[in-house]
Amino acid sequence: MSVRVVVSGDGAICAAGKSPAEIWDAVWTGRPAIRPIQQWDASGWPTSLAGEIAGSDPRALVEDRKLHKLLQRSDLLGLYVAGRALDDSGFVAYREALDPPAAAAVNDRTGVYVGMGGGGYQNEYEFFPLLTAANGDLRTFGRELTATVHPMWLLRSMPNNVLCHIGIRHGLKGPNVCVTNHSASGSTALTEAAAALRAGEADRALAVGHDAPIEPQMVLYYHQLGLLGADGLWPFDARRSGSLLGEGAAALVLETDSAAADRHVRVLGEFLGSGCTTEAEGLLAIRADGDGLAGAIESALDDAEMRPADIGMIVAHGSGTRLSDASEALAIRRVFGASAPPVTAFKWAFGHPLAASGILDSVLALIALRHGVVPGVATLRELDPDFGSLPISAQPQAPRSDVALVLNRGFGGSNTALVLRAAASEAA
Amino acid sequence: MTGTQRRVAITGIGLVTPLGNDVAATWHALLAGKSGVAPITHFDASGFPVRIAAEVKELDPRHAIDDRKLLMLATRSHVLGLAAAEEALRDAGIRPEASDATRWACVVGSGKTGLGIGELGEVHRQCAPDGHFRPDRLLTNGFAMDPLAFYRSQTCAGLSLLLHRFKIRGYATSVHTACASGSQAVGMGMKLIRRGTADYVLAGGFDSMIDPIGLASFCLLGALSTDNETPQRASRPFDATRNGFVLGEGAGLLVLEAWDAARRRGARIYAELAGDGNSLSSYRITDSHPSGDGPIQAMRQALAAAGVLPEEVDYLNAHGTSTVMNDRSECAAVRAVFGTHAPQIGVSSTKSLMGHLIAGAGAVEAAICALAIHRGVLPVNANLAEPDPECDLDFVRGQPRVRRIRVALSNSFGFGGSNSCLALRNPDEVGA
Repeated sequence: MSVRVVVSGDGAICAAGKSPAEIWDAVWTGRPAIRPIQQWDASGWPTSLAGEIAGSDPRALVEDRKLHKLLQRSDLLGLYVAGRALDDSGFVAYREALDPPAAAAVNDRTGVYVGMGGGGYQNEYEFFPLLTAANGDLRTFGRELTATVHPMWLLRSMPNNVLCHIGIRHGLKGPNVCVTNHSASGSTALTEAAAALRAGEADRALAVGHDAPIEPQMVLYYHQLGLLGADGLWPFDARRSGSLLGEGAAALVLETDSAAADRHVRVLGEFLGSGCTTEAEGLLAIRADGDGLAGAIESALDDAEMRPADIGMIVAHGSGTRLSDASEALAIRRVFGASAPPVTAFKWAFGHPLAASGILDSVLALIALRHGVVPGVATLRELDPDFGSLPISAQPQAPRSDVALVLNRGFGGSNTALVLRAAASEAA
Repeated sequence: MTGTQRRVAITGIGLVTPLGNDVAATWHALLAGKSGVAPITHFDASGFPVRIAAEVKELDPRHAIDDRKLLMLATRSHVLGLAAAEEALRDAGIRPEASDATRWACVVGSGKTGLGIGELGEVHRQCAPDGHFRPDRLLTNGFAMDPLAFYRSQTCAGLSLLLHRFKIRGYATSVHTACASGSQAVGMGMKLIRRGTADYVLAGGFDSMIDPIGLASFCLLGALSTDNETPQRASRPFDATRNGFVLGEGAGLLVLEAWDAARRRGARIYAELAGDGNSLSSYRITDSHPSGDGPIQAMRQALAAAGVLPEEVDYLNAHGTSTVMNDRSECAAVRAVFGTHAPQIGVSSTKSLMGHLIAGAGAVEAAICALAIHRGVLPVNANLAEPDPECDLDFVRGQPRVRRIRVALSNSFGFGGSNSCLALRNPDEVGA
């Protein structure tokens, strides 16, 4: 191994809280933040629950009011956590103390990797007044266009907005990617950020995942496709009936070990490796045997140069759908046999925040292992008997080591696995 | 991680562009200087301020892809991508097999997704006839939202179709950095092979925004040329009279392979994909820095990653959108990076003939660089009658230029400030 990649800062927001500490507290104390949707009156809807961020106006999270018109809800969340993570890492203060050429060099060597989710149907509704005026006539649509729709409409619609505005706001100018791969986006962004550091393309990188899928048309599509649970999100439970959408964002600051040592940074953990596979059977298809996910885990262990026995805790995807949880349990069994480490999952606490999942789960995994605990799945009443040997519990468990395996799955049969080591524990 | 860097070969190319529906037709039109820009035919654009675009012509999806079920899930952009991928794999002479499917990766720059005007119109009729959206009307009896619209609107929908069709089971992702998407995807593909994550990569980009919403979004920004009466002259990068870019559509897919394995199987290697540079301008959303800051770093990184000197570069496929600010910024960046060598580099923006393929542009232009190296010909920068004095590079004007290329660069700069530069090397230069 040449370059080690360490984690020096985090930021997160979701239904369960507006900081990693708040979210951790909700998870640790077993308080799910799944609630009736507030953004519109969904009381008569077939699915009216979601993991929505309370207080609901995320514009308050981004001070620069000029940006409010240019950003969608999901973008605001992403930009917010990016700032929090950079602050948390001490990066901003470090750069301020440098002379301008040195600061410019640091900016050129700091990458930005963002995973975003998609959606944004409501953004397209801004064409509704124009469609009304056009009344089915495209010529009128074309003629009335500039008088009716905001000139910056395209800029608000850009999938890479968070990347763009992190750059402008924080001056970061290194290598960058905006991953658009549904729920695998966040973990893929983290993987690419770490790869850039390992390859010497950057000394530091900010990895962000963000998503805000709770909008009427999206909720209804997910419902029609049978992906949503009736009354709750209960990972690995015998009574589980589907997932529930969540919203949120999370960010991690990564540095090479030498860049971190240069500025005497407090280290939260280390990125050890990752794996990514697809099942190639269609957008919604999931293989029942968990083959794709097992392959991702094996490839992540290879990348991290670890054996299954080295893993101390598994943060499962645990989306709460019948098929995903069942195939996930099989994948874990295939790799770990009868000796899997304690397994947990977090989506019961804040819903499924799609593209934000991978990094949000990573933030929480590192906190859990710094505390030396594996939080319970608070909603678990009766483990699905098919998963007999899976060491998952409603109660806290003791991790087997300071290394976490974080699993994520997305549309298109994407499976990702991340291997992370937590820094020495904070408290007993 | 090993210390030795694996070389990456480009062994397959597939193109569907406004100039032609495959590599041969595209290359032929490119050398003939035949423009793909014309009045819009996809829909009635007669009321729009811009009524011209570079459309892909006469593509029969069922001829390109013999899978009706798959096509039902595909947008036009996806069809273009599928057709180009089919050609790239055929051209490379290899396909993912059950035995090596997990060693195949796929990275694509896919365009902005969303609802098409038809689907949006349905929601409008049902939920917002007066322009004001009422969510409860989505629940109205008899109004079923089309689940296919959901499939097609997913950001990873195009990727998923490619994976499904070609049975690729390794690392796969789609990326989007606006006009840099396709180029970044190709660069990422190269890195996957270098770091050992994959042995083969299907990499590229596809996009089609020539629909009422897509065209509207660029008209609103005032970014497009309004030369509706002279479509073939409308895209004229680096010309003093240019007035905006021309929206195009298309796809470019490449097959990337570990060099040694490609050699062993006797593959035809168009070029080595030798380096990638990737920076963020962090300046303004749509503007480029007048000094070339941002693109400068991307080009320097690409040269460094490829291990080549500036003096070895013989051809630059410029981003060259045909907007004043962008063209000038790019020229400033080229001068800053190449100094006294800058006048020795043949430069052309092939957007002059095929318009701007947005998320597909960078991948198509990387493919053009590979073809230029392979055939020893530099395509023209068309429509350059009166060069902008601030753009004083050696543009390939009038006729294509026959010249052996040692190293070619392809620049792509996106809205949002992502800059991507790819460096391609002549295979005969490898190991010399």
